Amino acid sequence: MREVTIRPAQLQAPRTGREIGRRLRRNIWLYVMVLPGLLYFLIFKYAPMLGLIIAFQDFKPFKGISGSEWVGLDHFHRLFTEPDFLNILTNTLILFGFNILFYFPVPIVLALMLNELRLHAFKRLFQTLIYLPHFMSWVIIVSISYVMLTMDGGIVNAVLEELGLAKINFLLSPEWFRPTYIIQVIWREAGWGTIIYLAAMAAIDPQLYEAARMDGAGRIHQIWHITLPAIRSVIIVLLILKIGDVLELGFEHVYLLLNSMNRDVAEIIDTYVYTAGLKQGKFSYSTAIGLFKSFVGLAMVIAANKLSKKFGSEGIY
Amino acid sequence: MNKKGFAILLGTVMSLSMMLSACSSNNNSNAANNGGNPSTPTTSADASPEATEPAKEEPTKITIMLPLNVAQTPPDTIKNEIEKLTNTKLTYQFFPADTYEDKLNTTLATGGLPEVTYLKNQATFVQMKGAIRDGQFWEIGPYLAEFPNLNKLKPLILNNTKVDGKLYSLYIGRPLARQGIIYRKDWADHLGLKTPETVDEVIAMAKAFTDQDPDGDKKANTIGLADRNDLIYGAFKTLASWYATPNNWGEKDGELQPDFTFPQYTAAMDAMKQIHDAGAMNKDFAATSKTDQISLFTSGKAGLYIGSMSDVDSLNKDLIKNVPNAVVDTLALIKGPNGEQATWAIPGYNNVVLFPKSAIKDEAELKKILAFFDKQMTPEVANMMFWGIEGTHYTVEDGKAKVTDNSDLIEREVKGYKDSVIGETETNGMYEGFYSLPARIHAEEFTKENEKIAIMDPTAALDSATYTEKGVELQTIITDATYKYIYGEIDRAGFEKAIADWKKRGGDKIIEEFNAVYKK
Amino acid sequence: MIQDRTIGSRLFGIANFTLLAIFSLATVLPFIHVVAGSLTTSAEMAVKKFIIFPTDISFEAYRFVFSTNTIFRSIAVSIGVTLVGTAFSMLVTSMMAYGLSRRDLDGRKFLMFMVVFTMLFNGGLIPTFLVVKELHLIDSYAALILPLTISAFNMIILRNFFQNIPEGLEESAKMDGCSDFGILFRIVLPLSMPAIATISLFYAVTYWNTYLNAILYLNDSKMWPIQVLLRQIVVLASGFDYSSSLDGAVPPPDQAVKMAVIVVATLPILLVYPFLQKHFAKGALLGSIKG
Repeated sequence: MREVTIRPAQLQAPRTGREIGRRLRRNIWLYVMVLPGLLYFLIFKYAPMLGLIIAFQDFKPFKGISGSEWVGLDHFHRLFTEPDFLNILTNTLILFGFNILFYFPVPIVLALMLNELRLHAFKRLFQTLIYLPHFMSWVIIVSISYVMLTMDGGIVNAVLEELGLAKINFLLSPEWFRPTYIIQVIWREAGWGTIIYLAAMAAIDPQLYEAARMDGAGRIHQIWHITLPAIRSVIIVLLILKIGDVLELGFEHVYLLLNSMNRDVAEIIDTYVYTAGLKQGKFSYSTAIGLFKSFVGLAMVIAANKLSKKFGSEGIY
Repeated sequence: MNKKGFAILLGTVMSLSMMLSACSSNNNSNAANNGGNPSTPTTSADASPEATEPAKEEPTKITIMLPLNVAQTPPDTIKNEIEKLTNTKLTYQFFPADTYEDKLNTTLATGGLPEVTYLKNQATFVQMKGAIRDGQFWEIGPYLAEFPNLNKLKPLILNNTKVDGKLYSLYIGRPLARQGIIYRKDWADHLGLKTPETVDEVIAMAKAFTDQDPDGDKKANTIGLADRNDLIYGAFKTLASWYATPNNWGEKDGELQPDFTFPQYTAAMDAMKQIHDAGAMNKDFAATSKTDQISLFTSGKAGLYIGSMSDVDSLNKDLIKNVPNAVVDTLALIKGPNGEQATWAIPGYNNVVLFPKSAIKDEAELKKILAFFDKQMTPEVANMMFWGIEGTHYTVEDGKAKVTDNSDLIEREVKGYKDSVIGETETNGMYEGFYSLPARIHAEEFTKENEKIAIMDPTAALDSATYTEKGVELQTIITDATYKYIYGEIDRAGFEKAIADWKKRGGDKIIEEFNAVYKK
Repeated sequence: MIQDRTIGSRLFGIANFTLLAIFSLATVLPFIHVVAGSLTTSAEMAVKKFIIFPTDISFEAYRFVFSTNTIFRSIAVSIGVTLVGTAFSMLVTSMMAYGLSRRDLDGRKFLMFMVVFTMLFNGGLIPTFLVVKELHLIDSYAALILPLTISAFNMIILRNFFQNIPEGLEESAKMDGCSDFGILFRIVLPLSMPAIATISLFYAVTYWNTYLNAILYLNDSKMWPIQVLLRQIVVLASGFDYSSSLDGAVPPPDQAVKMAVIVVATLPILLVYPFLQKHFAKGALLGSIKG
């Protein structure tokens, strides 16, 4: 399915009031369709956003928003002058980088591989098996990893010992934190991530493949020229959305892996917020940090969207 | 067709939503929506209605919010009994413990706390102090004199829960010092080790358990100590207390200083380092969870567990499934290098209960509620809430409560209420537990003995603004440094650097502030 | 259909299969461990650590889990909320996604930006709670559904799928006198079954996993869904305490019970996907454009 890049409507979209009016009337039912969703966003998303104001206050739950004192940018100041701030920000960005580089392509590759399976029974079987980990909570996953990776009798280290190699301190050493983290992420989410791509591939016209085969194209060629372009728009949308999550990493996962020995590389913004903010009931501070994350994410999404349009995609807005 | 189709759809959706909202439970006594449920008016505003006139007075309606520490909300079995005994109509609202703070704060922020609000633990209490100072809760100090049973609560512990010298809460009591050692007695016997009395002997035992094949299976598959990633409730703080390290804060030249600046703290770190370097404890303890720590012990791999001695029952239960001939015992009162004997004490409570003004409108109502708690401080009610129904959940043996074999039943029906009983055995008259496991009996004895040598935290009842703001955050500097020292990643100089860092980033202010109120 | 008979193609097929098989094994193994662990005793778990084949089969854990009526009630709640919620969400989301997929809709960019904005900015727990409270939804099941009606992510994905449907179809339908609603329900949705199945699954999982909302909005514990029960057991068991104290009083419960509850809580939703897979049939668009 080729992506539609021509915009017929735009070519004929004059700005005269009459034209717009006619279009509105023609599309009235489309607006009706959008309405319930819009109401939802207004009520349950935008209305609560007013609460973000506590980032500029010294919010106390019992005082309420109107009763709490105004402190302006104090919380932001505290965040930026925190001695570890740069380190925490860097850690977060690096993990984000790992996510984009190492995790993001995996579901795509897996989906392509699954799509190439000729035996449908196996395709269904593998699909079901690989998304199973998504349902396991991080608590369980980290706990199982502990059992496997511990130096006190874990399987992995036992094997290393058998092979005459030195034991590796996976759980505590800073060098192994990021690899452990990203492998766990891939393990848990890659299978689940294939679902969207497989759905997109299901819409591909099989005749395209036949035609390609008759032209003598090999499997790789078919993937590159037929399958991939078909899922291109989905990939771009997902990429832009992922970029918006630049500072938003899974708190629970990292928190479970964090300990005194690897804190230098493992402390991310969310775990910092937890220790400095939430644990001590510091709503305002944690909200301020959240706002900071949001603004950075917004800037990234705007940039990514613009960039994607330059490459001919429709972007997400 | 389509306009009609749409209308039908819309109609369906709307009726679905209406049906759903109609499906709500009719929880009219839910004070979270309105704040406050007036108790039935009675003429006199005096203290607890006598048990001799239950039929005359209408039961007091009370809604109670508290954390749920067990898997499921308990059924009404126990609640009904309590209601009968105290002439009340109770609505218990349990909320899962690990998200209790969120629920607490949300409910507080929206003015919906019920008449009786339990907090979650000491940490939550510290967070609530702001709200308390702001007048959100009733000061109950002055009323206690009117209630004979409430008056029995230990002054020392009540003191620890005062805010600015005023009392707002009732406490749920816990023994001051339950920390000690649980160890494999059969291993010690097998190796001919005598019961350790000093720290050095404990360390030696840990090493022996690691190196001398205590289980006699000719395999090097044992280690001494199983610890976890918690310096406070794991081994470290208890070990440090054997060196008579101050509990969080101690006096030096008349001034309060944090415990990690004392030489005993360093001595304790060195001791842990010794054990770690000798391979006599689990190498990954900084990342080990409680479950895995326990599993090390119950699988028969580790021989020492330093923590709460009352855990010995459940540890033993799983241990003998794997190692049927295992024998455990508990130990405390360990002497330091200079013969000193000490252990650290908790402030005597692990949770408190507050009385929101938003839900309790006047003194009369407050007194009725206090009357309910007054009744809780009697053996009948306290036993009911802690142990259950005599005969069903427990029997009395030797004047102590022995739980029946119906552990599922107890878990389901009684356990949820256990953590809401205020006071402790000495004050509310409830039974002590009857234990048949010798190790557990020893544990109870040691716990009592520990009280004599327990070191309190002098700042337990004090406040420091800087500590409230960033104390926990700053503490991670010290925690990290302690672990790194034990693992050998930093040395004495590195640890000093961490202390300096702590001081610079706010620690100095904390010291100043605590000392200012300490002197008063 | 011409089969691939070249050697290159065959090799590719074999390599492909093998790699996928290995990956599948790696992902399913820990899950098997959970199932195996649930069928054994906690004592064995302590010794063996990582079990695949339990030697000491015992249904004790499941017996304990199912010994009260709480679990049945909470499963019923979860199923109800999931079914109604998914249906409701799909309806509202499809309509919005379709409307915003039409390229000649004025204000489309603005509306999409508004939606994307909500993915980045979040008012927080207490303000959202206030909204729910003001709408009088506390203690009603609607509180578990309405605040989750649309997931911006799901809507954006669905819209993307709708956008990829050729406009020619829409135009010819319009010429036949079909209204917008008609096009949506009679043409677009049937052609988008893979997407519909996928997004329905996503919603179903979200509703099934409802936990925090239940605690915040439902004060009556009888109304709680299954995940609350699950978390109580699992989080308690791991010793992973979201605050520092409360030690000694609550020893972690049976490991086997922990595993059993995981199995019980995830099994229903796991079974949903295979049923949806039949909607992933290829060539859904075959013949619709040509002609």
